Amino acid sequence: MFSLRQRIAIWIIGHQKISWAVFVAITAFFAVGLRNVELKTIFSDLLPKDDPFVQVFKDHPNFGNPLTMTIMVKRKDGDIYNAETLQKVWQLTRDIDLAPGVDHDQILSIATEKARYAEATPFGIDMRPLMENRVPQTPEELADFRGRVDKSPNSRTFLISGDNAATLINATFIEQRLDYGVAFDYVQGLVEKARDADHDVYLAGQPALTGWVYRYQSQMYIIFAVTLSALILSLVLYMRNVVGVVTPIVTSAVAAVWGFGLTGWLKSPIEPLLMIVPLLLVARSFSHCVQFTERYYEIYAHVKDRSKAAEITMGVMMAPSVLGIFTDIVGVFLIAIAPIPAMERFALFCGFWCIWLIPTGVVLISLLLAALPAPKNVDRLVGGDGRESPFQKKFQSLLRSISHLSYGKPARMTTVVFAVVGSIAVYQALQIKIGNPVEGSNLLWPDSEFNEAIRQINSHFPGVNTLEIVLEAKNPRDPARVARQADTVMTMFKLQSELENGEAPPRATLSFGDYLMEGNRLFAGGNPKWLPLDPTNPAVNAAAIAVTLGSSTKAFSHVIDFNMQNSTVSLWYKDNKQETVDGALAAARAAVDRVGIDHDAFRVRLGTGTIALQQATNLVVERYHWAIIGLLNLVILIGCSLAYRSLVAGLILLIPVNLSNFVLNASMHMIGIGLDINSLMVAAIGVGVGIDYGIYLLSRICEEFHAQDNDWGAAITASLTTTGKAIMFTASIMLIGILPWYFLSELKFMADMGLLLVLIMLINMVLALVVLPLLVWLIKPAFVRRNDLLVGEGVDLSAYTAQRESYIANRHAELAVAK
Amino acid sequence: MHIRKFDVDYGRRTLMKNAALGVGAGVLAPLWPAIANGADLGKVYPDELLSIEVLTKGKIKPGDTLTAANVDVVKDLLDPITYRQVKEMGRKIGIIAPPKDTSVLFPSAFLESSLKNKGKAKFGPDGNIYAPDGGAWLGGLPFPDAKTGEEAISNLTLSWGRSDYCQYAIRQWDMQPDGDQAYQYDFVWAELQAQARVDGTTFQNRKDLLRIQSVWFTGPSDTAGSSFLSTWYYDQKKYPDLYGYLPQFKRVRQFPTNQRFEPLLPGITWFLSDAWAAGDPMLTWGNYKIIGRQPMLGSVSEGWAGDKKNWEPSVHGGPKGKTFWDTTMSLCPDCIVLEAEPTGYPRAPVGKKRVWIDARNQQFIAYITYDRRGEIWKSFEAGWSQYSKGNVAMKDESGKPAWSWTYIHSHDIQSNRMTRIMHTENTTGGYKSQFSTQGVDVYNKYLTNQAIQRLGQS
Repeated sequence: MFSLRQRIAIWIIGHQKISWAVFVAITAFFAVGLRNVELKTIFSDLLPKDDPFVQVFKDHPNFGNPLTMTIMVKRKDGDIYNAETLQKVWQLTRDIDLAPGVDHDQILSIATEKARYAEATPFGIDMRPLMENRVPQTPEELADFRGRVDKSPNSRTFLISGDNAATLINATFIEQRLDYGVAFDYVQGLVEKARDADHDVYLAGQPALTGWVYRYQSQMYIIFAVTLSALILSLVLYMRNVVGVVTPIVTSAVAAVWGFGLTGWLKSPIEPLLMIVPLLLVARSFSHCVQFTERYYEIYAHVKDRSKAAEITMGVMMAPSVLGIFTDIVGVFLIAIAPIPAMERFALFCGFWCIWLIPTGVVLISLLLAALPAPKNVDRLVGGDGRESPFQKKFQSLLRSISHLSYGKPARMTTVVFAVVGSIAVYQALQIKIGNPVEGSNLLWPDSEFNEAIRQINSHFPGVNTLEIVLEAKNPRDPARVARQADTVMTMFKLQSELENGEAPPRATLSFGDYLMEGNRLFAGGNPKWLPLDPTNPAVNAAAIAVTLGSSTKAFSHVIDFNMQNSTVSLWYKDNKQETVDGALAAARAAVDRVGIDHDAFRVRLGTGTIALQQATNLVVERYHWAIIGLLNLVILIGCSLAYRSLVAGLILLIPVNLSNFVLNASMHMIGIGLDINSLMVAAIGVGVGIDYGIYLLSRICEEFHAQDNDWGAAITASLTTTGKAIMFTASIMLIGILPWYFLSELKFMADMGLLLVLIMLINMVLALVVLPLLVWLIKPAFVRRNDLLVGEGVDLSAYTAQRESYIANRHAELAVAK
Repeated sequence: MHIRKFDVDYGRRTLMKNAALGVGAGVLAPLWPAIANGADLGKVYPDELLSIEVLTKGKIKPGDTLTAANVDVVKDLLDPITYRQVKEMGRKIGIIAPPKDTSVLFPSAFLESSLKNKGKAKFGPDGNIYAPDGGAWLGGLPFPDAKTGEEAISNLTLSWGRSDYCQYAIRQWDMQPDGDQAYQYDFVWAELQAQARVDGTTFQNRKDLLRIQSVWFTGPSDTAGSSFLSTWYYDQKKYPDLYGYLPQFKRVRQFPTNQRFEPLLPGITWFLSDAWAAGDPMLTWGNYKIIGRQPMLGSVSEGWAGDKKNWEPSVHGGPKGKTFWDTTMSLCPDCIVLEAEPTGYPRAPVGKKRVWIDARNQQFIAYITYDRRGEIWKSFEAGWSQYSKGNVAMKDESGKPAWSWTYIHSHDIQSNRMTRIMHTENTTGGYKSQFSTQGVDVYNKYLTNQAIQRLGQS
């Protein structure tokens, strides 16, 4: 009696037209969805949505200057007080006002009217721009300008560096009008043009980072093309026939159309930063197709009939293929456990892509093999009987040597070595730190232009590493306007004082209260003794009216919202190293506790800014790294145990992949790399996709055990010299698919993920070839002795063919009776 | 008698040709003799420029309402921001017939003055406008039939409110992109003409000045008393002096004279530069040019909500149904399309302004600023009307119905914030709108530094 999978194979190959029609229809349906596919980085979606810091960030996205580009102009040989440098600042200020999507009300530099100084005159308070309608030229004008700067404390702190060598130009963009790529190209063009022998010009800010990422993402298409070409070339070189090349390409392309098409229909944007994973899936699909096709060659060489060979191949390969893909699906879908929206969407996209590998990699491939012309070089491809090439002979000899490590006397030594290596790996891996702080953005390389700009700005100004403590109005329409009430402003002062005088003090702090004190001083006559505000609503309100008279609240959007309800206390830190982050957050928590979280009109929320968001990302890694691995192990254990009908089989398969993960983490720890968001994906994919090697090998061992007359050593050697070759081919295909990203991508994020994936796949391969057979040798599991395994690939072709003819005749008879 | 010998585009073509040739208003005959004689504009413009029904071939007619469904028919009769408001934001505009009597488009004294002094204005070598005796302008429109950009802008600039003293009780709402209210202010805007007065005098012999103007906020209570005083010089190259007063500190603050592109208070979308489409001295801008003449829809008559409490009409549209005033517009047969650039402000964020000026009364009906990239930034759309409705009327000093602006829509289309302003009967603090001094020493009461300080303390 035929098994279900064999009956399915017979039906499909017997109804090829219907099967093709179904595939064409489904592919057409998903192809229509392709028009809605959107590749888009939504930066806030890379943050864990359930983290309290991220929730503060989402509730108050305007704090921390997420829409501001900052240009720093630095005079190399002296200070900025010369006509040439000031002219450059003037021109950059005017030119950035021409940037697409810029908010014309929010451009600030020493050359704008918004940078003012104040003097008390007989007529009242005279507030004038630092720079008049033209750039100071003469020594007298330059000296006068410098004098004005000295009367403008905020300009001194936030617009001109302490050594007078650098100045900043800030331009804020309107979110709904901002096209990051276009705006960045424009401003970066200005920056490049402004550089000369005497001036360094740097560009920073979140929109600039996004711009860089977009620019580098356009490289991604080139890397994609290079990688795919390399994959196809390797296929051509390996197969050297039409069916062997066309089948993987068509199969993978159809799965890709289904994968992308589904996201198009769901209108769910795809995160381009993670696009290396789909490429891994393409490579995975290629290697799967190669193994499927090779099996088809073997069968075709025997039965000499394309359809029959395809049908038999489908019947025998269905179960191991589905099991292998099942583990991939689990690995990819489990990425979604981490509550990071971009990863959730991505897990959905790639998870379904993996699912599509089942119908395409089992059914479509069989239809293709049945339809395409049979290869003429089958005999050479199938090998055996001494027809292998010298390379293959050497290759098999190597694999034979490796197999000797796993049984007999050498197995004892191998066991000891791996026990020691494993223990060290587990110990070291458990020491690994969370997070990879770099000055600037971890998406880019440390020596990238953007990160250099961040370093320069950090070294000349309070910088970009901020922690924001938000004072959130309970009633966002409070008629009293909470941000300018006495309790709010006094809480700002108290927080600033606590933090400035506590442990791990920030290098600068700023709140709306600071502007109010300055307003209070000026309008009370200019004497510094009038800086302190009376802690009463009328006094605070008066100061607020004073500073906002004749201007927009947009000028204060870094400290209050447009409606003066919510406000923030900004704290600048020297760097974002984990000890700084920990110290800053501990001090901030203590300060918030002292001022109290709940006030009548507002609540104090910690917090947002780069420091808090970095911590949120680290926390999600800490929370979910082991959870993902644990759950993955559990699901795969259940799946594999069912497939092999043995819990031991599941354990034998999981030990090498988990050991791989420990080895990778240990290596990372020893070379000083911490766990980050990449690690989450690599861990899931490393276990889910990496376990395939073990499944291939274990299945083969089961078959060879019977073929080699229950000889464990011979079974291991035979498995390694056959399936081991396939494993090495699969690993090579993966390597070709992923490794170029490390060398070609200027996005560190992608390069890192590429490198980590390559490493884990290689470690997986080595451990699959050595540790898995070793475990089989040591345990000698009972399931291997059974010959009714679901995942067995073996088939007696003569018996199968005879049985098939009988089955089909019976079916015809049944149908005739039914009619 | 209807002139039907012309095709339906004859009027538009002739207006364009007139603009190119620098010819004044009128298609079939010159406009201003007809206005002077109280004649029917049917002799001046063909039917299609006097009837929206004819112009749109019956698709839109008086009594209809412009909505997203039909606004495309009149897209070229609206400024681009108003079009977008109707097309995308749910604004609705009632269509009414244009006024038959052009005198309703002016304050009566200003029309008389314009007719009396017609032809007497000339540009001096310094670019300012002078009377034949070399003195300041005599009052009324200096160039009733403006043929150049400079003439057109001087009609707007020399007398904003077209009365020698105007005091507007104003209520203003600043709306967020989500349709909610961000800020609300009540204030009074007063302007006293020092020269170019319709009464032909010079105020207190201040021959150096054009006008004195103040704004004082009366609500909400935390802002009440904040005030501004702006003194305009007759020489249109000079920047006005601008002072602010903070009652809480009892301090006057002097603002930079070139600070014209900032709001007076938080939340407001309009700048001083936008007021009256001529908020800056005319010679601080340059490159004036008339780029065309065209029919437009404008709110020029019957727009006064005198029958409503405090003259406040209903609102509609936008995400929360409260972004726009209920307004009406009629077909204006001949509008000058004027452009100018802020040449006197090297740091201006504005690239240029485009103003549509009704040739009949030389008042703007639409105004758009562009940023320096040439992208549309803001509108400052005003409604105008004689202050009479049925049996209700607000009279001016001569006992005739007053004429003034009724509403403003100032829409920053880039940040999608809207300020809507209403000229009301009275505002917080008991201040009422008026169009003459009514015998009060308004100068010392409202228009000096001491006065604004006193206002802030009261």
